Amino acid sequence: MAKILGIDLGTTNSAIAVMEGGEPRVLENAEGNRTTPSIVAINKSGERLVGLLAKRQSVVNPKNTIFSVKRLIGRKFSDSEIERDKNWLPYDIQASMQGGVEVKMANRSYKPEEISAMVLQKLKLDAEAKLGERIEEAVITVPAYFDDSERQATKNAGEIAGFKVRRILNEPTAAALAYGLNKEKNEKIVVYDFGGGTFDISILEVGDDTVEVKATGGDTHLGGDDFDKRIIEYLVAEYKKNEGVDISKDPLALQRLREAAERAKHELSTAIETEINLPYITSDSSGPKHFLMKLTRAKLEDLVRDYIERSIMLVRDTVTAPSPKGAGLKLSDIDEIVLVGGQTRMPFIQEEVKKLFNKEPHKGINPDEVVAIGAAVQAGILQGDVKDILLLDVTPLTLSIETLGGVATSMIPKNTTVPTAKTQIFSTAADSQTSVEIHVGQGERPMMADNKTLARFILDGIPPAPRGIPQIEVVFDIDANGILKVSALDKASGKTQSVRIEASTSLSKEEIEKLKKEAAEHADEDQKKKDAIEAKNQAESLVYVAEKSLREAGDKVPAEIKDAINQKISRLKEVKDGNDAEVIKTATSELSQEIQKIGESLYKNKGDEPKQPEPNNN
Amino acid sequence: MNEEPKEENKEIVNDEQKLDDDLKEKLIRCEKDRDEYLEGWKRAKADFINYKKEETKRFEELIKFGTAELIQELAAILDSFDFSLTVLKNDEPARKGIFLIKSQFEDFLKKHGFSRIVVSKGDKFNPVLHEAVGEIESEEPEGVILEEVSRGYRLYDKVLKPSRVMVSKIKGQSQIKE
Repeated sequence: MAKILGIDLGTTNSAIAVMEGGEPRVLENAEGNRTTPSIVAINKSGERLVGLLAKRQSVVNPKNTIFSVKRLIGRKFSDSEIERDKNWLPYDIQASMQGGVEVKMANRSYKPEEISAMVLQKLKLDAEAKLGERIEEAVITVPAYFDDSERQATKNAGEIAGFKVRRILNEPTAAALAYGLNKEKNEKIVVYDFGGGTFDISILEVGDDTVEVKATGGDTHLGGDDFDKRIIEYLVAEYKKNEGVDISKDPLALQRLREAAERAKHELSTAIETEINLPYITSDSSGPKHFLMKLTRAKLEDLVRDYIERSIMLVRDTVTAPSPKGAGLKLSDIDEIVLVGGQTRMPFIQEEVKKLFNKEPHKGINPDEVVAIGAAVQAGILQGDVKDILLLDVTPLTLSIETLGGVATSMIPKNTTVPTAKTQIFSTAADSQTSVEIHVGQGERPMMADNKTLARFILDGIPPAPRGIPQIEVVFDIDANGILKVSALDKASGKTQSVRIEASTSLSKEEIEKLKKEAAEHADEDQKKKDAIEAKNQAESLVYVAEKSLREAGDKVPAEIKDAINQKISRLKEVKDGNDAEVIKTATSELSQEIQKIGESLYKNKGDEPKQPEPNNN
Repeated sequence: MNEEPKEENKEIVNDEQKLDDDLKEKLIRCEKDRDEYLEGWKRAKADFINYKKEETKRFEELIKFGTAELIQELAAILDSFDFSLTVLKNDEPARKGIFLIKSQFEDFLKKHGFSRIVVSKGDKFNPVLHEAVGEIESEEPEGVILEEVSRGYRLYDKVLKPSRVMVSKIKGQSQIKE
């Protein structure tokens, strides 16, 4: 089954996403960018350009470069909006035979849906190239205020581009879907969408499996581009005031300033202050001139305050005004707020929205991509309707096995997708140990005693051997239903034991949260405890090795070395049961250095031994 | 009364028939389920293999282009060096030193995949490499580059920033609608 493409067909930029392994993923276009300008052009050689390339030549080919066609799609030529847009859009707009709108590009007339289709076709080709498979179906988003004719025209655009359009989805609904808000029952959601060129507000109500648009509002000619213009105007004016030079007349200087201003705007979303430093920006009779100016977040906020206040006023109206102008609700009726559009990264906007509703807005997903992601989520739901036999679960908590000193050794970490299996080899902790206890637990704490026990069983009949020699293979296997099977096998004797645990993932949500919270609360002290136990384990194993080496070396090692080692062994034995990992580690390392002397003295002795007589071949 | 045994027989036959039908139906359902599961399993496996390949590619890209933002910011500093060199006179003692620092800096960037987009007056405008920021009336053929306003660069084969240029326009011709 081929994938369904989620498409945010924007006024300024478009974005695409698909579901992959149950998660939405934004796809990059052929130029390696995550958004594509919704622009189409025919250049002087008659070549059609779409996206970034069309944008790059728009200044020198304004009559044959079509942008913002979303403002025209599905409209009548007589609409008042068309009357208004006609005046500022640089390309020719005319009435079609049926009273609709047509745009002219390279002496040919096109319907707006044909232009949108060219953008969609590029997106389709780029997605196919990225995924390496054909894409036939799409979910395309439109503003909530689009009427039937505008929706139908958008659907036609999709079909001209070669898609079977599975759904025309409202942009705010897509944003809510991206945040999973469709699952909440009877909630009222405000979507605040501040894009590059348009500002949209939508009030949604989530019911049983439906998302109803209660009201829409906004300003179709207010956007982030207005902010950029304000910043540049301010910088130019300040420079003129301080240096007496008007750089707005110098295209080179203005271009550099434009790039720097955009960067500064982005930086001020995370920094309080930024510096615009453009050496040699221009020159006058006195010589070269530089541009060095600090821009603070507060100044930026001042510059665009009226725009933001206006947007907040529009939100208030759309929520509270009686129907049909608004949703007729109180501000306190709103349960969730979703921020969409690149401009909402500005902390001032986030604060003002928060202040209005007295609620934290959702803003975790990239606001430029949230609509495309929501479209992909809808595509995923549609794909699921057809055939979704595989809904994979994850393990909510870590599954572990108890090892020496009561440590919980993780076998399957939390959030691992099931079905899965994990195998690890363990060994014995004492000489001639003939049985091991397999203690299976669940939880995030490093010590098994603090976690929940799921099962215990004994594997016996292990042939006696020194510690560390037997190989016990332990397998944790969880099937798709969350049933955990733990088995232990002694590789030498072939003896095996196993247990089946039915309820390994059946903890209630509260229980899981409680266990996770406990783990977080005790993280520090647990870590210390675990470190001490690990140090102790290491110490014990070194004491074992040291004693064994001394025994085996017998008289070959001088008495003073033996004494020194025995002293270090006693010291380590003394401290190893304490709680201070550092002290144990120091004593361990001292012993470890000391026992190297056994080897040294053995080699020395070997060197002193009389040489064997050479065999005489004669 | 004669009818009775016949009825019974019929019922037995009917029961057997029903059992047969039930089993057949169950078999069909099981076969359908099996095909569906097998299909799902194959698909999941293929998805995973494709995902792994895609992930490897993505990882390579990440290593190659992970420095893009840093290189872009450093390139802006390189531009500033260029500006200073165009302004400083040739006999200025500091000029040579600045030139050498600039070369050292540019060589370092080149080692990390950076290259400049070279633009000369008279080159044909190409939106893959250039972005037009304005037009100037001139005697030159229409659509050729007259001036580079801000320099463009690539990281390996990817255009990080197009070269921003002014393009020629035939005298007296305006594209903006009246």
